[in-house]
Amino acid sequence: MSEQNVLLGMSNISLSFKGVKAITDISFNVNQGEICSLIGPNGAGKSSLLNVINGVYQPDNGQITFDGETRAKMKPHDAAVKGIARTFQNIALFKGMSVLDNVLTGRNLKVQTHWIQQALNSRSSVRDNLIQRKKAEEVIEFLQIQQWRNHLVSSLPYGLQKRVELARALAAEPKLLLLDEPMAGMNKDEKREMSQFILDTKKEFGTTIVLIEHDIGVVMSLSDHVVVLDYGKKIGDGTPDEVRVNPEVLAAYLGTKH
Amino acid sequence: MSIDTLPSWLNFQASSFGKRVAIRHKQLGIWKESTWSDSRDEVYRLVQLLKNKGFAAGDTLFLLTHPRPEALLISVAAQWLGGVAAPIDPQNDSEHISELFQLLKPAFLFAEGQLQVDFALQLNELPILIIYADQRGLSSYQHHALYFYSDAVNTELDLFDIRHVAESEHSAFAFFRLDNAKQVEVQLLKHREMLMQARDLVSIESLTNSEEALVARSFAASGHVRYLLAPWLLTGFRLNFPENIYTRDNDRRELGPTLVAGTKQTYERLENLIKARLPLNGTWLRAALDWAIYSQSKHSLLGKLVANWLFLRPLRDVIGFSRTRVPLLVDEPLTEQSLKFFKALGINIRNWPDLQNWKAVDVEAQSSAHSASEKNYVEVNAGNTDISGASAGVLV
Repeated sequence: MSEQNVLLGMSNISLSFKGVKAITDISFNVNQGEICSLIGPNGAGKSSLLNVINGVYQPDNGQITFDGETRAKMKPHDAAVKGIARTFQNIALFKGMSVLDNVLTGRNLKVQTHWIQQALNSRSSVRDNLIQRKKAEEVIEFLQIQQWRNHLVSSLPYGLQKRVELARALAAEPKLLLLDEPMAGMNKDEKREMSQFILDTKKEFGTTIVLIEHDIGVVMSLSDHVVVLDYGKKIGDGTPDEVRVNPEVLAAYLGTKH
Repeated sequence: MSIDTLPSWLNFQASSFGKRVAIRHKQLGIWKESTWSDSRDEVYRLVQLLKNKGFAAGDTLFLLTHPRPEALLISVAAQWLGGVAAPIDPQNDSEHISELFQLLKPAFLFAEGQLQVDFALQLNELPILIIYADQRGLSSYQHHALYFYSDAVNTELDLFDIRHVAESEHSAFAFFRLDNAKQVEVQLLKHREMLMQARDLVSIESLTNSEEALVARSFAASGHVRYLLAPWLLTGFRLNFPENIYTRDNDRRELGPTLVAGTKQTYERLENLIKARLPLNGTWLRAALDWAIYSQSKHSLLGKLVANWLFLRPLRDVIGFSRTRVPLLVDEPLTEQSLKFFKALGINIRNWPDLQNWKAVDVEAQSSAHSASEKNYVEVNAGNTDISGASAGVLV
């Protein structure tokens, strides 16, 4: 793995909550343009790790290198500015807003004009709004949700709301996309569709993706790289084929030592 | 060069009304407009591409796509060179399309996107040229036959190289299908016949260049090309393309087209759309709606006004028929009950016939590769359908 290709580097990350260790000394790299899956049983520390990456949690120890810049801590806003976007395990959309408006919120950091210009509806703000709308519409088209563009998010089925959440994250044009269980609660067809959108995102935009997923079939078919956690520790790291035969991983999942 | 061909009418509209809007296509949530002059320039560039790739008079350009302006313009470009456009409905069963293509061996194909391109690349005998409109997923494809539509329309134009060779007796469109015995059948439509029938439609329905027509389905049935495309070129009204097939109902509502051409299935779907929105039986609102829809013969003048304003007009708006003056039904008629339902809403559907004269093509006899060109088809006399008796409100 070439160092130059690394977009995200996690080095000796540890995190604890009031003395309870959630993550212990985890290190791994995510290369530019790859899909990396974090897997592990419930309570393994996957979501905590995702929250460390985008600055919601500050690690006790360790360093994060993102896009060539190394720091011990990063605030969520800084993470967003630097190009990290995410979706949540429990959908976090503005339910009373339309699909388009939700996707447009993903463009907030890309708005070039000041709020005063916006309030005065200046020519530059009108032009800026058109640019943001066009970008949002491109994502809407990419994820094929045009027919629900003007629908209230609350009126959409669960699988579509997940897609809208992905759209909002993609609207920010992230370098790194963090997906927390993007297929949770979906049926087989919806999972297949979402998997295709995730692959297309990587292929069309070159976005690097870190995702948490419980469906091992989906993980193995989607991922270039899999990191396995158990009780806050890393027990496996490699390609899907390597992880599949890792004895520690098998033990964690099957409860037996091989 | 004949002056009574589809491309020559495009030329006429561009020369006479170049700045008028010819096509509107909803893309990224916005209706984008293209003038007659823009459309002709795009056709010129496509003619240049097709010619450079070896497309010549008598050749067939197959189209596997949902409705989009690119498919329409490249059809006219193929006809410009004396060729035939052969739309295949992508909604058809993929096995059916595959069998058809394996037999017809298309040499020139317009494919909408990755799905259709993948389909073409699986054929035993690959086309010489596959032009695709949607680049998504295709950036890594390296096949020599592939050509991106936008690249074609952004090339430098050599005007001296564009010669219109279509004749009014040439076939403009071909429609293919497989019969039960897996025998290929074809319907051919000549420029002259299409324009003649379009003139009848324009005259009977009093179509003008201020019409707004919506192309909700692909031009994959002869009725659509005869009753929308040819009248469009003849009268110079605006042709509107929805964003995609799933947004067509929303787009129709936004647009409020004055001219619509649909099939029995189209109207049945719209009827169901309205009925699904009606309040439950037994409610006062449902009783009022039933009064407005089903008891019109008993209404006084005031009652008619009230029924129309409060109930029928909003229902027409639900399906985007608020301004529709000419709702055409192509081919199979609707049931008496459905016709009455639409009539009660103030939508007077006119049934125009579709051609039924399918003729067999002996593809086995065509030994050479990529032989599905017009000169090899069994000639079909498509001019027998008399539509002159069609009139507003009368079932033909």
